Amino acid sequence: MRSVLLAQLRAHAARLVASTLAIVIAVGFVVATLVLNATARSTVLAAVGAQYVGAAAVVTSTEGTSLVDDVDTLTGLDSVAAVAPSYETSVQAGVPGRGGAQYLFVESVADDAALRWQRMTEGTLPDGPGEVAVSERARAEVGDVLTVTSFDETGAEIASEATVTGIVDLSGDPQAGLYGRAFVTPDQARQWGAVDPVELRVAAAPGAGDEQVRSDAATALGARQVEVLTGAERADEAAANMLGNAMALTAVLLVFGTVAVVVAGLVIANTFAVLLAQRTRELALLRCVGATARQVRRGVLGEALVTGLVSSAIGAAAGIGLAALVSALVGGAEAPIPLAGLSVPWYAPLAGVLVGTLVTFLAALAPARAATRVAPLAALRPVDQAPLRSRPGVLRLVLGLLLLLPGIGLMAVGVTAGDVLIALPGGVLSFLGVVLLAQRGVPPVVAAAGRLAGRLGGVPARLASGNATRNPRRTAATATALLIGVTLTSAFVVGAASTRATAQAGLAAEFPTDVVVEGFAGELPASLVGTLTGTEGVERSASVLAGSVTGPDGEPTGAFGVDRAEAAAALRSTEDLVLPGAGEASVPEWLAEVWDVGDGDRVALGGGDPGAQVPVREFTVRVIDADNPLLLDADELRALSPDAALGQVWLRLADSDPERQLEVVDRITDVVAEASPETQVTGLVTMRAEIDEILDALLLVVTGLLGVAVVIALIGVGNTLALSVVERRQENGLLRALGLTRGQLRGLLAWEAVLVAGVAAVLGVLIGGAYGLIGAASVLGELGTIVLDVPWVQIAVIVAVATVAGLLASVLPARRAARTAPVAAIAA
Amino acid sequence: MSVPVMTVPGEPPAAAPAGVAVRAAGLRKTYGKGETAVQALAGVDVAFARGGFTAIMGPSGSGKSTLMHCLAGLDTATAGQVWLGDTELTGLRDDALTALRRQRIGFVFQAFNLLPVLPARENIVLPMQLAGSRPDSGWFDDVVARLGLRERLGHRPHELSGGQQQRVAIARALLPRPDVVFADEPTGNLDSRSGAEVLGLLRSSVRETGQTVVMVTHDPSAAAYADRVVLLADGRLAGELTDPTAETVLDALRGLGA
Repeated sequence: MRSVLLAQLRAHAARLVASTLAIVIAVGFVVATLVLNATARSTVLAAVGAQYVGAAAVVTSTEGTSLVDDVDTLTGLDSVAAVAPSYETSVQAGVPGRGGAQYLFVESVADDAALRWQRMTEGTLPDGPGEVAVSERARAEVGDVLTVTSFDETGAEIASEATVTGIVDLSGDPQAGLYGRAFVTPDQARQWGAVDPVELRVAAAPGAGDEQVRSDAATALGARQVEVLTGAERADEAAANMLGNAMALTAVLLVFGTVAVVVAGLVIANTFAVLLAQRTRELALLRCVGATARQVRRGVLGEALVTGLVSSAIGAAAGIGLAALVSALVGGAEAPIPLAGLSVPWYAPLAGVLVGTLVTFLAALAPARAATRVAPLAALRPVDQAPLRSRPGVLRLVLGLLLLLPGIGLMAVGVTAGDVLIALPGGVLSFLGVVLLAQRGVPPVVAAAGRLAGRLGGVPARLASGNATRNPRRTAATATALLIGVTLTSAFVVGAASTRATAQAGLAAEFPTDVVVEGFAGELPASLVGTLTGTEGVERSASVLAGSVTGPDGEPTGAFGVDRAEAAAALRSTEDLVLPGAGEASVPEWLAEVWDVGDGDRVALGGGDPGAQVPVREFTVRVIDADNPLLLDADELRALSPDAALGQVWLRLADSDPERQLEVVDRITDVVAEASPETQVTGLVTMRAEIDEILDALLLVVTGLLGVAVVIALIGVGNTLALSVVERRQENGLLRALGLTRGQLRGLLAWEAVLVAGVAAVLGVLIGGAYGLIGAASVLGELGTIVLDVPWVQIAVIVAVATVAGLLASVLPARRAARTAPVAAIAA
Repeated sequence: MSVPVMTVPGEPPAAAPAGVAVRAAGLRKTYGKGETAVQALAGVDVAFARGGFTAIMGPSGSGKSTLMHCLAGLDTATAGQVWLGDTELTGLRDDALTALRRQRIGFVFQAFNLLPVLPARENIVLPMQLAGSRPDSGWFDDVVARLGLRERLGHRPHELSGGQQQRVAIARALLPRPDVVFADEPTGNLDSRSGAEVLGLLRSSVRETGQTVVMVTHDPSAAAYADRVVLLADGRLAGELTDPTAETVLDALRGLGA
């Protein structure tokens, strides 16, 4: 049988091209997905956890004890090459040619090259005191001399100067636009007021692994109150802090990865089933000439194994290549997609080859069994049409329902509980159920659509509708391939829209102000509000009074006073930052804990100045999840704290792209610096925009990957039509003999393709839309309020694209069919 | 029967002898090229009278099927000409040929005559629908009644017996009242009783409605139903018989060395 197997492979190499292509693309899809996932993840991590990438281990203090003494302990370890204490402080810095001073966040640069993570746009990192590298946000140039005002422990001002040696590239860091950052030597950082290192970053000695360094450091510092993490763990933590919820990100990628594997499996199975169905007679002929059932089965499976292995290997290579190409294109185009370089996790090619080979093998099992069950004489008869109500059909129905119903149940539980880890297996189960049931569900729908098409398209359309339903199993298989692609695409489009809408709402709630202008050391001049309101790009402003009141515990506390109507107009969201009206107090959580009050409690507040005789006022408490002092109505605060003055100005910018908004923030910084030198401008708007961009980028990557699924489905449609053309050679010849023109024959196949593809597209969009909403609800359920969003335009585009793709897939088979000589009907 | 071989393509139809439905002149058909070339037709001149039932016979490989395909516009000749009535088929473009087939030629094949997806009625009217014309309902009823298909019109091909399927094919071929019906081994797949029935129906369509029928067969008893038998051997005409019987046909075939 081996010689037959090899001869089959050689002789039918051309016939195998189609299925090989499907496996290659499917495996390439899986591998590219895994690689791009890994790359996107590592890029996000690199952007927000850049300083930990080179570090084998990171030591942080848990109880606020100084880490200074631990540096020597760690340096002495064999597995440690270098230790870099990270100092942080902040200064006011004046840039030549610009009025006023700006806030600069200062970080120390490691002495050891391995621990220097900063990428330079130009220039170099500082080597000694008096030198500084800054981020682009500081808007200084190499060679500028900054006038720096720093503060020592007692709060006394110290003036110094520092020359800019380089500009640090912080692209990808969501906080890059927030304020200027400065990078100096550890000594300089201490001179500028840093006292204790916030953490120690440890580089591994050659040959030492991260985990070894971590455990060595943990052992050496066993008695100290410190936490030792590997660099990767710390980077994850930083990314988690930055993105709010790294688990949600992983969950989304996990969903996508699982789904990709399932889809790939189904598409491969489909293609191979079609291929073997075509050869049932050939296999029966082998039985005729004396091959045992066992030999035939082994032959088929051997062929599947070889095909699967070879195609999967090609697919794995193609997948890595594709990922590299995408990454290079994205990196070159400066698109806002977090893809840099290429991270090929070891499991990606392995999983690809394994999945491809295994699935091809499994897919061949059923047809191989069917082939051996066929009586040898069947080789001499035309293949009968499989009736829909066959035994495997019933088995399928039962199995499909057994998968679908519990799957739906699990998803319902997942949505209710807001737990994606429950909804995900439910989704996979029910989707497999849908795929199994498609064989029953799709043909009647195609038949119904065909009756409609028959009225519109004349004889070819009527014939096509008959053809499309004559082999329900194959029609279902073809439609299912496309159904899978469309279902996934629409699931992701709908899911993505909901994720974005929810994330935007969440970001707006978390960062309700676009720009905050704050007096760095005291009050702001009242005239500033008018000046700011007149600045180009500023839409609304709200003045915030800063004063102090005495709480129920007798301690004075800072308080903000706002005019509710004015402030609400300047905020993006008042969901978290609830504004108080008269008689109400918005109490941040930390203060509510101190005062031991909850929502609806009454609280009595006294004047902030113990000397002034101010009557106590009563307020209704509203506890808010926001990072600011006590909020009161402006008039009430004035009554309690007569010397309250302008403390902050909240600005809302006109909607535009992040670049433009950053310019507005710069303009505001200039205006404020002129009016009041000691003022800090915080542009939260840019942070929000950049997080938004990261989300967009991830969704773009995912959508791009789904394009591949549609291509596979396209091949599936083309495959099946090509097979039909081969099988219906006689029939098409007969039609030509009876007077069907070439054009009408092409029309017939086009109609058939459109019927199958259109039905698959519409069903896919419906099912996919449901999955998208369920997925979004269960993933985002963990995060809080969900905003569901259905992007109708994209949905319409998906249906149109899938239908047109089906039409295109019919072009090549139709050309071949049209070349069929009418004689074929008689000659065959 | 002699036919002018020197006819210039496009010559006025007046040159066609009256009463001839189909004729071929100097018809050659070669498959393949160079050393592997096979000459299926090596210069055939033949004509078929209107209202006649002719059988084309010959041993396997004699070129009888190729001749029929070329006469019916299903295949293109390498050289020579074919006329259907006054229309020269050789040289027509594919679309014109297709339209001509569905309006003026009827077919009955050995097997695979019907589209499996369509019921009998739709199969019968298919060529006329493709041509965009409506069958005359009186004629339709007449044809269906004569072929005994009235009870079977709603059935799909796989619900019909082999003989019934061939009768549906004959009904389809007769319905447009074509210039000629070509039948290619119409009884090849049938038992002898159904075969006789089909042949009887073909003959009665010739006798009763003046339909021209040309049938390819290798079965002498089938050929005996025809008015005339044309014998073919090695791609050439090898004689003919009028009012054949199974015995005279068998003798003639033996004379060919088959």
